[in-house]
Amino acid sequence: MNALGTRPGEIDSWIRSNLFDQVPVALSVISRDYRVVQANQQFEDAYGPWRDRPCYEVCKDRTEPCLRCAALETFVDGRTRSREEEGMMRNGKQIDYLVHMVPMTRPNGDIPFILEMFTDITTVKRLEREKREAERMAAVGETVAGVAHGVKNILMGLEGGMYAVNTGIQTGDDERIARGWTVLEDNVNRISAFVKEFLDFAKGRTTATAPADPNEPARQVVELFRERAAQAGIQLRSELQAGLRLASLDEDGIHTCLANLVSNAIDACTLAEERRDFVVTLSSREEDGVLIYEVADNGRGMDYDISRKVFSKFFTTKGSDRGTGLGLLTTKRIVHQHGGRISFESKEGEGSVFRIELPRSGLPSPGPSPTEGKALASADATKQTREVTHG
Amino acid sequence: MSASNKAPSTTAKRVLVVDDEPDVLSYLEMLLRDSGYQTLTASDGAAALELARKEKPDLVTLDISMPKASGTRFYKEVKTDPELAGTPVVIVTAVTGYGGDPYGYEKFLNRRSLVPPPEGFFPKPIDREAFLAAVKKLLAS
Repeated sequence: MNALGTRPGEIDSWIRSNLFDQVPVALSVISRDYRVVQANQQFEDAYGPWRDRPCYEVCKDRTEPCLRCAALETFVDGRTRSREEEGMMRNGKQIDYLVHMVPMTRPNGDIPFILEMFTDITTVKRLEREKREAERMAAVGETVAGVAHGVKNILMGLEGGMYAVNTGIQTGDDERIARGWTVLEDNVNRISAFVKEFLDFAKGRTTATAPADPNEPARQVVELFRERAAQAGIQLRSELQAGLRLASLDEDGIHTCLANLVSNAIDACTLAEERRDFVVTLSSREEDGVLIYEVADNGRGMDYDISRKVFSKFFTTKGSDRGTGLGLLTTKRIVHQHGGRISFESKEGEGSVFRIELPRSGLPSPGPSPTEGKALASADATKQTREVTHG
Repeated sequence: MSASNKAPSTTAKRVLVVDDEPDVLSYLEMLLRDSGYQTLTASDGAAALELARKEKPDLVTLDISMPKASGTRFYKEVKTDPELAGTPVVIVTAVTGYGGDPYGYEKFLNRRSLVPPPEGFFPKPIDREAFLAAVKKLLAS
């Protein structure tokens, strides 16, 4: 016994003989031909008999190797990888798991085996899906409240027009009648445009995803706004990372998102209280498998009150003739359809940065997806999500 | 109701109308002028506050969702300014509370401890007669 109360080598010996079977994760060792050559009890309990069977058959009930096999990549580059994947348990239940691939490297650099460590994250993934659905429902509720708000203002405009026409008739005031009539016409037009735009928003666009150059929509948007920016005395810059790999995108959708953000950024410059050299920058880059678009401006920025409301219910600060408050709501929806997220930072008087992050692994599979629900479902079905590698 | 364009007398009470919707603004202005009041108008909270401090109106009709300073901020500023706190404020808003409650915003204000409840509250579109009756009563007292 030593000062710690253990016999020499006791801990090392226990770890060697027990750890493999007692850690609360499923462990397996696979060879270069995908055979499971060793596994612990947890693994066997979850995935069933494994001896001499290929990993894709045991863990995924497949008859051939996976398309993007993480183990194969680790055999090639010797890096430790983490990936979220979907598999099939021995009882036929689907499982979401996080798997770490650790290369068992020999002193000469050969990698004959890989240790795979599986953590069950089914509950976490279910909560993620439920949260996304709840957010979608909340957005619907906010949208309806926003519509009611807009319609009430228009109704009051109509009542004002009627009041002017009626009182004008009573007093024989032609000028008042004409003014009232114009108000009536304007508000009828407004409600028509409003209803059309709302219906477009509600029914959503038919999205079609296909492999695309992520920079293409960005280039088009810069081209589209070049003139408007120049006329407003704003420099529109693009900083697009060269050589981005193709990604499964709804190109029109991404175009809409970037156009909304650039248009907002230009407005933020035009509405700034003090004049300066305004610059709007649209940039693209990829970091750790995440495509990132950013639209930065040095316009008026947002105060706390406004920044809390930017993604909600038809909120607009541009006045009724310029904004419907649908732009960012639409943008947010398209980003969600791509399995991504949108965020922003803003400082009153200094400007804002809006950021769209699209993890490649969360992008929908190529093909048409007529509704948002289906787009989300196909994003969920994408098996390999959020990969991290450690050198 | 009188629909004449009679010029308000110089002793007429002055009402500051605050709303970012031009049609709402001109409607309320028309209504109030037809009832013999003088009107001042502002399209956002910041301009409204400046005007209120300068002109000391007898009553304010206040929209809530507006650019720059919102109606909420304006209300708080007015009700915590000793020179303006006594000015009655009639809120005219399309803002709704949970479940679409048209009086949700009034209930929200009534629960605030920093500010007193508003003197009047009318969801858009307004009940014209009730609105004018409330304004009349507030300006008579």
